[in-house]
Amino acid sequence: MIQFSHVNKFYGSYQALVDVNATVNKGEVVVVCGPSGSGKSTLIRTVNRLEPIQSGQVLFDGQNVHADLKSAELNRLRARIGFVFQSFNLFPHLSVLENIMLSPVRVNAVKRGEASQTAMRLLDRVGLAHKAKAYPAQLSGGQQQRVAIARALAMEPPVMLFDEPTSSLDPEMVGEVLAVIRSLAADGMTMMCVTHEMNFARDVADCVWFMDAGKILEIGAPADFFSNPQHPRAQRFLSDLHVR
Amino acid sequence: MLSNMITIIEDNWLLLLIGQYPNGPLGGISSTLILSVLGIVLAFPLSVLIALARLSHWKVLNWPATALVYIVRGVPLLMLILWVYFLVPLLIGDSVPGFVTMLCTLVIYEGAFLSEIVRGGIVALPAGQMDAARALGHSHFGAMRYVILPQALYNMMPSILSQFVSTIKETTLGYVINVPELTFAASQLNNRLLTKPFEIFAILAIVYFVVCWSLSELANRLEKRIDKQRQGDDQPAAGPLEHASPQTRGAT
Repeated sequence: MIQFSHVNKFYGSYQALVDVNATVNKGEVVVVCGPSGSGKSTLIRTVNRLEPIQSGQVLFDGQNVHADLKSAELNRLRARIGFVFQSFNLFPHLSVLENIMLSPVRVNAVKRGEASQTAMRLLDRVGLAHKAKAYPAQLSGGQQQRVAIARALAMEPPVMLFDEPTSSLDPEMVGEVLAVIRSLAADGMTMMCVTHEMNFARDVADCVWFMDAGKILEIGAPADFFSNPQHPRAQRFLSDLHVR
Repeated sequence: MLSNMITIIEDNWLLLLIGQYPNGPLGGISSTLILSVLGIVLAFPLSVLIALARLSHWKVLNWPATALVYIVRGVPLLMLILWVYFLVPLLIGDSVPGFVTMLCTLVIYEGAFLSEIVRGGIVALPAGQMDAARALGHSHFGAMRYVILPQALYNMMPSILSQFVSTIKETTLGYVINVPELTFAASQLNNRLLTKPFEIFAILAIVYFVVCWSLSELANRLEKRIDKQRQGDDQPAAGPLEHASPQTRGAT
């Protein structure tokens, strides 16, 4: 579904991604982990081209995301990739319901009535139907992130990307957001998730990618990765986190 | 002196209010206000376009917009008025009423200044807003229209109102090209009465002050309300934010 091949990315002379090769299969949940500054977020942002790359290819559903696309093609592509940000990025001038309805109505030309029904169904799914009329500033961080997930789901994307979805949350709110992501995984959604939540990775992931200094150093099933990491850097990372 | 001023107002309030209308062109404070309102209302859409052009990566848009802003910022308004005064008749081959000349000048001048306010408002929003809109599939234009501008313009309302106050004061310069407005009316009065310049121009100052001070006060209140709302979790944000829908905002 998503395929990285020989992806290289530079910020000036600093190389943020070094020859990344990996594949996310349909229905698979991939967790990307690694120390801060290792390129995890950069990598996930190349999938919908929020970050440009200098060489290599990122294929989404067989389509080269970084090819010389017309802007309309790129917009269509992005509309099919759900993306959830660390800082939620809800639109503060719109109510929760309008946040979710905006893109289906304006990008996919869904009728307002239909979009509103879908939005309410999704709000119900993330447990926030009673907050439909509230504004983002009136919600807690965990609630905002759940709305952000509903907003991404409203575009009916075949794949969801999560860029550290719980990193800016108070600890007691992490659980409610992870529960929503877990339920998506249970429904068979293809997902790529950058996170520091190792217990979540162990439970939910089909595959763990460990990154450091712009490289993927290790790819493995969570059972193997957490009990028996191969790369010395991964061993050090896990023992620092006390998850072994 | 105070009684003199009251007498002058009693005798000439109509001239100060509407100029020589209906026997001549509309003037006085009504002309000043119409000129300022039209100036800002026409300058506003222009300023949004200039701001978007300034932020564009395309040199064809970016360059002329930047040049316009720099030139207008670097030239006194009076120069611009005289320049339009002599140039526009040459361009269209016909004489133009002073009111129209002044309006054109104000639109260019205020358009350039407002565009910097608009640009500032756009740049001040967190980059995540644009990222989120683009990630959902909105075009650059769609993201601007539905996500960025509604927030930026709402936040900028106090600044726009302040700019409106400046515009009211700037209309006085229309006097040099005989635009019939409030200052022009006062000076006509002075030419007629001859012996009471201090009283007449004191009245003029008071009128400008009252109008501008009330509007500044309104801007302050608006700013406080917006500040409160930005922090405000406990505030029922629904009311004021609903007023900030793109449609109503366009009317400022």
